[in-house]
Amino acid sequence: MSGNDALRHDVTLLELVDRVLNKGVVLSGDIMLSVADVDLVYVGLRVLLTSVATLDEQRELAAGGRSA
Amino acid sequence: MIHVYGVVDGLRELPPLAGVDEAPLERRRVAGLELVLSKAMTPPSAEVSRETVLRHAQVVEELMHRSAAILPAQLGRAFRDEDQLATAVEEQAAQLERSLERVRGCVEFGLRATADAAEPPEADTGAGYMRARLEQTRRQDDLVERLHEPLARLARATTLQRPPGGLIGAYLVAQDDVAEFEAAAAGLEGAFGVTVVCTGPWPPYSFAAGAS
Repeated sequence: MSGNDALRHDVTLLELVDRVLNKGVVLSGDIMLSVADVDLVYVGLRVLLTSVATLDEQRELAAGGRSA
Repeated sequence: MIHVYGVVDGLRELPPLAGVDEAPLERRRVAGLELVLSKAMTPPSAEVSRETVLRHAQVVEELMHRSAAILPAQLGRAFRDEDQLATAVEEQAAQLERSLERVRGCVEFGLRATADAAEPPEADTGAGYMRARLEQTRRQDDLVERLHEPLARLARATTLQRPPGGLIGAYLVAQDDVAEFEAAAAGLEGAFGVTVVCTGPWPPYSFAAGAS
């Protein structure tokens, strides 16, 4: 179960970074920020994932409350 | 340097949160559209850090909770000044309006399916290779039918990628259908010899760039 939770964490992280860096509307500003170190971003985010997980739980609670 | 978080409609209030580099969030109205931005202190050569990614995501998420509709902006572009920003938004205003209408009242969910077992060893004959490829395609078609299609029926729009052995889907789901979608997604997890993870609700990142 804990392995499953770890996987869910990793996938959630991957989904988050993929969305922020690769999706979303491009408003064609001319300053390109470098995202060359994306691997480092992924690794580093593991450390910060607690806050994302917390957001996730709050969302799930909120969603559960609404649908109940 | 101006950092844009997204185009919003019906934003009730700014979230009690600073933007990238702790710069305050600001609202701007350009060409009839409202943007949320911050003036970043980071020099243009700076690389995107994990803190920037996370803060951008948090701001967008908080804006989603306070808006009638949001088009999240992709992280990776920034504007020199307000004039440049205004020009860019004016040029795209009609498309942005259409995209806002498309995501109004909706959230996004994600699906990732990856094969549990390692891929079968490389076949050493041409015919064996073809058989292996066909088998892989057949299994992937099966995944589309059993995982993607039940979710797609509950979504207003979808995107689907087919990496080797798996699927990556995104689903634009109306608020009214969220409970049904979550129930359907929960029923999929762990089935069919693949690991399935559904995530969300996300702001509609995958549907912000206009109908394809």
